[in-house]
Amino acid sequence: MRPKQNHSIRSDVNTRTSIDRRTVLRGSGAALALPWLEAMRPFSHAAGEELTEASPKHPIRMAALFVPNGVRQDCWTPAEVGRNFELTPSLQPLQKVKDKLTVLTNLWNQASNVGDGHYVKTSGFLTCTTINKSLGIDLNCNGKSMDQVAADQSRNLTPIPSLELGIDPVTTGVDTNVGYTRVYGSHIAWAGPTRPLARELNPRLVFERLFRATHPSKASSTRDKWLLDRVLGDAKQLQQQLGTSDRQRIDEYLQSVRSIEQRLQGQKTGLRSWEPREKLTMDQAPPMDQPDDFPQHVQLMLDMIALAFQTDSTRVCTFMFGNAVSGRNFSFLDGVSGGHHDTSHHQNDENKLAAYQKINLWHVSQYAYLLEKLSAMKEGDQSVLDNSMILYGSGLRDGDSHNPRNLPILLGGGGGGRIHSGQHLRSESDTPLANLYAGLLHAFGCGIDRFADSTEMLPGLLSAS
Amino acid sequence: MLARHTFPFILFTVTVFPLVSLAESPRAIDQKEASRLFETFCVDCHHRGSDSAVDIESLLTSMDVREDLNHWTKIEQRLYDQTMPPAESDPLSSDDRKQLVQWVKGTIHDVICEDGISPSRPTLRRLNRSEYANTVRDLLGIHVNAAHALPHDGAGGEGFDNAAETLFISPIHAEKYLDAAREALSHALLDPDGRQRLLINVPDNNHTATQAAEKILVGFLPKAFRRPVSENEISDYLTLFEQASREEQRFEPAIRMTLEAAMTSPKFLFHLEEPTTSEEPIRISSYELANRLSYFLWNSMPDTELFQLAKEDQLQEDEKLVEQVRRMLHSPIDKGGLRRGAKVREFATNFIEQWLGTRALGREFQPADPFSALYDSELEGGMKYEPIFFFEHLLSENESVLELIDSDFTYLNNRLARHYGVRGVFREQPKHTALAEGIHRGGLLGMSAVLAVSSLPHRTSPVLRGKWILETLLGTPPPPPPQNNPEQEKTRGPIYAENLRKRLEEHRDDPNCSSCHDALDPLGFSLENYDVLGSWRDTDNGVAVDARGSLPDGTLFSGPEGLKEILMLRKDQFVRHLTSKMLGFALGRGLTPEDRCVVDEIAIAVAKDDYRIQTMVIEIVKSVPFRYKVGRSENSAPQ
Repeated sequence: MRPKQNHSIRSDVNTRTSIDRRTVLRGSGAALALPWLEAMRPFSHAAGEELTEASPKHPIRMAALFVPNGVRQDCWTPAEVGRNFELTPSLQPLQKVKDKLTVLTNLWNQASNVGDGHYVKTSGFLTCTTINKSLGIDLNCNGKSMDQVAADQSRNLTPIPSLELGIDPVTTGVDTNVGYTRVYGSHIAWAGPTRPLARELNPRLVFERLFRATHPSKASSTRDKWLLDRVLGDAKQLQQQLGTSDRQRIDEYLQSVRSIEQRLQGQKTGLRSWEPREKLTMDQAPPMDQPDDFPQHVQLMLDMIALAFQTDSTRVCTFMFGNAVSGRNFSFLDGVSGGHHDTSHHQNDENKLAAYQKINLWHVSQYAYLLEKLSAMKEGDQSVLDNSMILYGSGLRDGDSHNPRNLPILLGGGGGGRIHSGQHLRSESDTPLANLYAGLLHAFGCGIDRFADSTEMLPGLLSAS
Repeated sequence: MLARHTFPFILFTVTVFPLVSLAESPRAIDQKEASRLFETFCVDCHHRGSDSAVDIESLLTSMDVREDLNHWTKIEQRLYDQTMPPAESDPLSSDDRKQLVQWVKGTIHDVICEDGISPSRPTLRRLNRSEYANTVRDLLGIHVNAAHALPHDGAGGEGFDNAAETLFISPIHAEKYLDAAREALSHALLDPDGRQRLLINVPDNNHTATQAAEKILVGFLPKAFRRPVSENEISDYLTLFEQASREEQRFEPAIRMTLEAAMTSPKFLFHLEEPTTSEEPIRISSYELANRLSYFLWNSMPDTELFQLAKEDQLQEDEKLVEQVRRMLHSPIDKGGLRRGAKVREFATNFIEQWLGTRALGREFQPADPFSALYDSELEGGMKYEPIFFFEHLLSENESVLELIDSDFTYLNNRLARHYGVRGVFREQPKHTALAEGIHRGGLLGMSAVLAVSSLPHRTSPVLRGKWILETLLGTPPPPPPQNNPEQEKTRGPIYAENLRKRLEEHRDDPNCSSCHDALDPLGFSLENYDVLGSWRDTDNGVAVDARGSLPDGTLFSGPEGLKEILMLRKDQFVRHLTSKMLGFALGRGLTPEDRCVVDEIAIAVAKDDYRIQTMVIEIVKSVPFRYKVGRSENSAPQ
């Protein structure tokens, strides 16, 4: 075997000529098939410890999908409560997965009921905290997003702790009008108060990252380890040089390097906590280039989420359909002419409301696409969807009034039987959104029943068992 | 609590230019008279216990400008942009307004500059995406975008993506950098020239593999780390090479892996200045200066000449420094009269696109029907490049920054020339184009890129354009609209060309809205002859365009030409704001209130030298925040 093809972290092939890279990647996939099979031994924890998962049978996965600019209110919330509810016009695409769906009503994110416009309601969507008003220097979300709390739980059980995905690059500039950097409007996943997580926008790069992480190679991992040791050595030299207060960024980089090292370590043993029924292969790779076509781009990203969950490459994922205040042009939909944000400020104009609803409907149909896809992925007599919790929502209800009450929130999947799905769950007015998150984290196996400003786990969410 | 650290003025009297006293622009009124004006025109609403966010009565009683700096700055801005006092209150005469602004400005300046100018903390941030791409390009001599797979960076501080405070590190970064290094090095080694540049020595009869590797590392590491390296550092990497070499048995894979490590090291990926060991502020080192200069004006690493001057400590001499700045800003013109890819283009691009917000074209800004049909990649390219090439021209030719307000030339390519209806021979590459009378172009406000990003996707918005002018050109952003009022013109029902002016007038009947919109809307209305994509129009949907406006002080004006005259009256505010943007970009951080002091100094120097842009750059490069770093006691203070 040629050692060059064995780099577990590789990109030593020029990306300019797409044929070259594709060929080589395919080649490496083939070359790696054998060692991978060899590695399929009875599972145990990569670090040699006992598994801490609640259910070793099928792991539970969690994703959060963020939609900017709210929804048209009168087309969203079902009239009936409980199991026998009718899907409203905006929820129609979910017909096929209705029994795996939970529609959540009357949740709000009190901590985001301050500040101006969208930023607080985006960065705070999964943290349920109030972010600092800042152009950068005091940037702080004052918490940690709930997906990252989950990722802490599953971090050592899968090759990649979590995936952060998006479509739009970080919005440029700072908003001096309201005093926030637009970094806030471009991130929902926060590893800590000052650590927004960078997102991957290119489906092909997501795939390649998954592929490298799930295809261990002992030969190159030794060399990679030496290389990383040198890098870590340099980082430590710098830490000594710097005062404690200046070390933060270097510390963060050090951690970032260590995470590759830990993965190599895990790959070396070739063992995973749970063997997925489907393996990641190059046949599943998306096209080389990031599509210009927005709907296609979104579907490829959703495909990557499904693939990552199916192959147990990660169990936690966040995805942003767009950044806060997204002006995405939706004129590819009949009857829509303006940008998303502008349309959401409908001012009760009938044409705009109609267009707004069409944009909502399109987003929900993408969500339905993901749920159906996961539902078609079998895991024994169940599906990946049965073992997942796929959250869908926006940080504000009506885009015209920026109202943070009664947020549009959906949950898809059974959470391994822990979620009481197939119902419209109407809570009391102004129930903390964090109550839902507390319940989800509990179902995920985090062993907690509180999150941020939660007061309890959302009643009616979890199965009675 | 953000600790403010300032550098005692006295230390600078020899090494740095002294502060220019504001005595040159004397305050015509004293505090007593200022108080009287405030009491007459402002305190009726802004009194103790009022609903207003600013309690001028108490501010006047305590007169603690340092403590209340944010409030006083707002007062200055609102008086300056005429959003206060509102129309329904007693009118403040132009003279009184001018004197009051001058008094507030002077008072703030005195208080802030009392202690002299503050130096910066030593730089510690990673390369951003474009700096990474350019640095790898110059380090390896390759011409691919090595940063294509890196995550995008957000912006902080003054609105630029090189601000230290928002250059985060995510878990994904190390992996991405390792990938990018491998890709870049493999690319360089595939190219015969690149190969020769990198592998300056290979093992032969006279050299062992280790000796060859050492030669390569002695050449490569100082360039990659952009400073002299110690023997220990060479030996660190030589050890890695030997490890790899034992395993590989082949020279090239082993040295290549060693270089990959260097390019994944934080010593390569970070701008790192040595922490100050003295108690007092000191000058940054010659190498640090070469780096600051190079990343400011080229967005990339220093070249051989800068490294050589740093080595000889010559950069610290003002004369040499100025000479280098002029060299670095030079953009040669080829025989065909076109500017071809000078490194200063990177400065022009990164600065202009982010200052003006035109990076949003094709990203956050996408025109809707009917404009989307016209908007193709060729037009987008022409629109984006116009202000960049224009700014590059100003920098290279040392023109006045006031050309940005109005000019008799611009830079057009084929598609944009057609869009503007300018005749002549054009190509894909923009070229210098003299503007005939009556063509309604010239200056930033005649550029379609600016006119588009200050529009809604489907129609123009006088409000957004007015806001763009106040925020981007003058640095006096209007306050956000009252809560639960979206940022757009908010009247029930849609706005069309037919009712635009009427709707906005109705809107201004609401006193909650009028104080800002009386100042915003007229500025925007004067640009109504430009459509969403900046095409000139005399009618909008069959309705004749009315581009007249009147400011709260009664000034009447019309059209872009009238607007430019108004802006020329505010040119000193414009220059001050441009200076603060450029200083923020140069320092890679948001400015603090104390930095206002040095901004004022630089703006005065620029005005004195006929507003020449190279003077602005040179004064920034010579300034205390650019050339000094704070002392140890201050540096170790928590941020």
